[in-house]
Order: sequence, then C-alpha cells, then structure tokens
Amino acid sequence: MTCSPLRTAVIGCGAIAYEHLPFLARSPSALPVALCDQSPAMMAAAAAAFDLKVNLYANAEEMLLAERPDVVHVLTPPQTHSRLVRAALDTDAHVICEKPMTGSADETAALIEAARNAGKLLVESRNLLFNDSIIDLRARIQAGALGDVRECDILLSLDFLAGPFGDLNLNGPSTGLPGGAVQDFLPHLVYLFQALTGSEAADSVMGEYINRSGNRRAGFDFCDVLVRSGPTRGRLRVAADVEPSAFRIAVRGTLASIETDLYNPYIRLEGPPYVGKTYALGQIRGGFGLVKSGADNLRNKVRQHGTMHGMPRMLEAIYTAIREGNEPPITAREMMATAELTDQIVALGQRP
Amino acid sequence: MKVFLTGAGGFLGSAITNAAAASGHSVLALYRPCSRIEPPSELVEPVKGDLRQRGDWTEKLAEANCVVHCAAAASGDLATQLTGTVLATENLLAALPEGLQRFVHISSFSVYDFSAPGPFGRLDEESVLEPHPLRRDAYTQTKLIQERMIRAHCNAKDIPLVVLRPGAIYRTAADWDYGRALRAGPFDLIFGPLSSMRLVHVDDCASAVIAAIDAPLERELVINIVGSKPITYWGLYRRARQSGEMLGIPIPVPYMLVRMLGGAAWVASRVFFEGRARLPEWLDLPRQEARWRSLSYSNRRARAELGWHPDRDCAIAD
Repeated sequence: MTCSPLRTAVIGCGAIAYEHLPFLARSPSALPVALCDQSPAMMAAAAAAFDLKVNLYANAEEMLLAERPDVVHVLTPPQTHSRLVRAALDTDAHVICEKPMTGSADETAALIEAARNAGKLLVESRNLLFNDSIIDLRARIQAGALGDVRECDILLSLDFLAGPFGDLNLNGPSTGLPGGAVQDFLPHLVYLFQALTGSEAADSVMGEYINRSGNRRAGFDFCDVLVRSGPTRGRLRVAADVEPSAFRIAVRGTLASIETDLYNPYIRLEGPPYVGKTYALGQIRGGFGLVKSGADNLRNKVRQHGTMHGMPRMLEAIYTAIREGNEPPITAREMMATAELTDQIVALGQRP
Repeated sequence: MKVFLTGAGGFLGSAITNAAAASGHSVLALYRPCSRIEPPSELVEPVKGDLRQRGDWTEKLAEANCVVHCAAAASGDLATQLTGTVLATENLLAALPEGLQRFVHISSFSVYDFSAPGPFGRLDEESVLEPHPLRRDAYTQTKLIQERMIRAHCNAKDIPLVVLRPGAIYRTAADWDYGRALRAGPFDLIFGPLSSMRLVHVDDCASAVIAAIDAPLERELVINIVGSKPITYWGLYRRARQSGEMLGIPIPVPYMLVRMLGGAAWVASRVFFEGRARLPEWLDLPRQEARWRSLSYSNRRARAELGWHPDRDCAIAD
C-alpha cells in the first residue's frame, strides 16, 4: 500500500538541520514544503545543499499559517523550543523537536500536555538509540546475555569548549539552559542510561556538576555523577578536558559485561564461556573483534556513516508512527523520565 | 577614505591594516574580542566585535565610507564555515550604512570552475564560476554564497563593488608546505610538479586591496590577484631546498597519474559506497583539478585597472 508523504516543515537551518534534511530530501515518507530561519542566507544554503524546492520563511508563525505542514521539525536553540513547539501544535502539526526539548521537566510536562490536548505527537530526538552499536547492545541485553543489568557507565569526552559552546568571541551564554553547555549533551547520556538499564526514576543522584575551565560562556562544562535506581548503579560523565574524544558506554550485568564507543564503535563482551581459566581465550577473540571493528570504522569514515547515522532510522520510525497512528518510538513517559533525571543532575550544579 | 576592515586580526587582514595605514587611510579595524590587538599606527582604530553576532561594531561601521571585507572562516566543517562566512557576511550587509562609497570584497580563486578551461588553458576573470559547488569543499561552497550575496546587495543598493580573487597567499614557502602534496616517511610527494601555483605574497595582496580602495570605479570590478612570475610546484620545492629547508626525498607525481588515482577512487566510491565516499583532496577529482591542474593565470587586469605591481615574486626563497 502506498501512502502520500507527510508535508514537512523545518524551523532552524543550523548544523543539526544538516542531519535531518538528508532524510527529508530522500524519504518517500516526507515531502518538505518549507524551511524557516532568521537568516535568509543560512536557509537558502540549506535548501541548496539538499536541492529542496521549498518555500523559505523568516518567521515561524507566518510559515505555519501559510503552509499548514503535517510535521514540523524544531531545530532551533533550546530556549526557543517551547514557543515554537506550541505554535506548531496550534496549527495541528505533529512535532519532532531536537534535544534538549526544554530546560526543565516542568516545561517538558507542559509541552507534552499541550500535545496531548492537540491530539498530536510530540517527539524529542534520541537518535543515538538508533545507532548500530546501541541496537546491538539492547538486543543482547534483552536476550539476557548480560543477566540482570546492574551497572551502566557512560563517558562523553569531547572538547566542546573549542567550538561555539566555549567561543568567548561570542556574547552571552552558549545555551539558554540552566545546566549550561553540559545540559546540551546530557539528555543523550540520560536516555542511554535509562534505555540500557530499564530504569526510569532515580533513588539518588550525587556527584559534581561544575565549571572546571572557568569559561564563562559554557556555564557548566563538567559533570560526573553517580545515579542509583533500585539495584542499578550508573555513572554519567561529561568532560571537555580529556582526550581522545570518546562516547564510551559500559554495561555490566550479573552474567557478563559489554562495552562500546559511539564515536569509534566496537563491541567488547566479557563473560561466559570465556571466564576463569579460559578468560585469555576471550581476550584473543576480543582482539580479533577489535581488528574487525577498526576495519569497519575505516570503511564507515569513508562512506560517511558517522555518529549521527541513527538519525534517519529514528525519523523513519517516527514518520511511520504518525502515518499509522501508533505510539512513537520515543514515548511521552520516556521523555518525562529523562527530563526528570536530567533535572536532578543539573540541580547538583545549582546548590550553594 | 575611512575604511572599515573586517578580519583585521587575520593573516591577510593584518597586512591590509598595515598597508592601509601606510597609505594614509584611516582604518576602523574589526578584531574578534579575544584577539590580541596591536594597532600599527594612530590611523588604525581597533573595533572589537564578531560578525557572527550583531553588536557595537555596527555603530563604528556607520562611520565608514568604504568597507574591506576580509573576514571568513577558512577551515572547519560546513556548519562552522556557514556561520563564519555566510552568516557573518549577512550581518555585515544588513548593517552597511547608507551612502557607502565602496565595498571591496576579498573573494578567492576557489570560486572558479577549474575544469572549464581547455587543456593547458588560461583561468582569468572571464572564466566561469563553479556550477556544482556541492562537489567541492566547504570553503568553496561558502565563498561562492558569500560572493553572490555581496554582489546582489551591492547591486540592489547601488554600492560600487570591487571583488578581488587572490590566489594562494603566502609569506613563506612553508605556508604552502613547500609545494608538497603529501609526505610519506622520508619521501615528499610533489603532485603535478609542472603545474603553476597561483601564488601571491601577502604584502602584494594587501597592496592590491589598497589599490582597489583608491582605483577609479563606476560600478563593479572583478580582479584576480596573482604574482607576475609564476612558479611550479617543483620550482617552489627546489627553491626551498636550495635555501636550506630540511626537506625529504622528492618524488614527482605527474598530474596524469594523480588523475588516474582520482579516477580509480571515483570508481571505487561508485561501486562500493554508492558514490558517497568522503575522499581526501588528493583523491577527489574536482578538488584535484582545483589544486594541481596545469593552467595559466594572469594579473593583467589587476595591473591595468588598479595600477598594481607585485614586487615580491622572488621573495619566497629569501
């Protein structure tokens, strides 16, 4: 059965738009009808880059009223999301919003409520859940390969201060978020922790959420927290001052442990049958696996299969849910759980 | 002229600042807020600001009767270069004062279509611009957008415009890695050894900019800026070696062989990666052409229209 594509508009033509637009330009599920950005030049550049014959608008509300799109992608800075999401819902559009959707769980709850009242889907982007290695990890966990999951450590080491987040040539804070630059990345760590451990609410959160560099534009640039949720422990770290860049994830269970990296993916599994006296055989096997991962990563770099490769899968899943009237791949309950745990972590930075 | 100069802290911008002050222009020199500022003379007034954001710099811009736009992002990913070149230019154009007497834009040779001239042909101001920017790098894409925006704005506002397209700007041979394409262990690979480099010394380029500020002008001029005595990649390497640079063992790689490598990479990309492979410059056909194709360049128009006489052609080995 063929369905007519959903008429789609994009608000915000910055860097992240270049991750959404390839899907919109190629997918039979979507028909791009409009782009919107305060900068006509950036908007025109984005349209040209993907050969989109769409209408261009400098004003979002004007665009929404004129085009009446079925789906709106909100890809602007976080502090503008609430207004734009509400405006899109008011014109009967489903909304896909980049993370973090808001700066607090209260704001997220209000937007989810607004979407429910409008009878429309509102989905916050979680593209990393659709990356090859995360799909692999979740499949193994669900199959019971690790036993019961007890620990999950996630480290994002990235010199984000070298980019716009820390560029002191620019005025003002880098984000309008209470948790500063770290909060722009934190939702990734939180939803990965929750998806990999199956936990939602945290019993306790402790640790550091600070500005280590003194860079005033970043607000906060370091986070190292321990999260306890029932029998599950987690350690979530964001650091701008260590190399190399890595997005390392380790999950440990009652039977086995598994490790991967989202920047240079590999899978390292430690557990039966290679335990005790045969552990060294497992290490040798792991070595061959690492060599294969190196070759795969080289090929992936050439074919531009990078860290954002899960984005088109996520968007396709959301579009399918919209078309078929199903629950989206990222539910309101999951979005709230992430927003609430993010709030708890960010609060560590605001205590006197 | 009271000149508002963007990118004053950069490689070319600082040379223009010195040259403009030396020629008696008063300069409002825009530096990024974190730049170290050392104005070369009392004729230079530093202005702090970043074109990526509106700010107090717009008030200083209102005092100028000529703008020299040198600021651009020369490196980084596409998003960085779009912001640093395209968005920055959009903000500058939006803030231009009424009655501006001249806009001098520092474009680039990279905007040309290097496949257009015939074999061993000439690339000059009449040559066509790159018709397929997406096959080139982010720098070319953003410089093309920038030039188009400036031309449209100046035409609409009736502002006399000089577009300067400098070649490869250098101060020392090290700026272009002595003509090397690659280093492999002890070997230095010289691609297209007999192809001309379109070099121009940074001080010569700055003097062309000053000449563009002063030259008689009705509406619009497009001028290429290259040195008078072309030098090949092999020639540059040889001169650097003669002047005592510690270089490796040179391996000249004929341009035809470079093209064959590029062709093989293109086929591999089509067969194995659906044509989506990200290739380095030395394997990417359009970028190979832009860098190593054997073409000739001329500064005849610059000499005729600007009265410009580059005098540092031989300084590279000094």
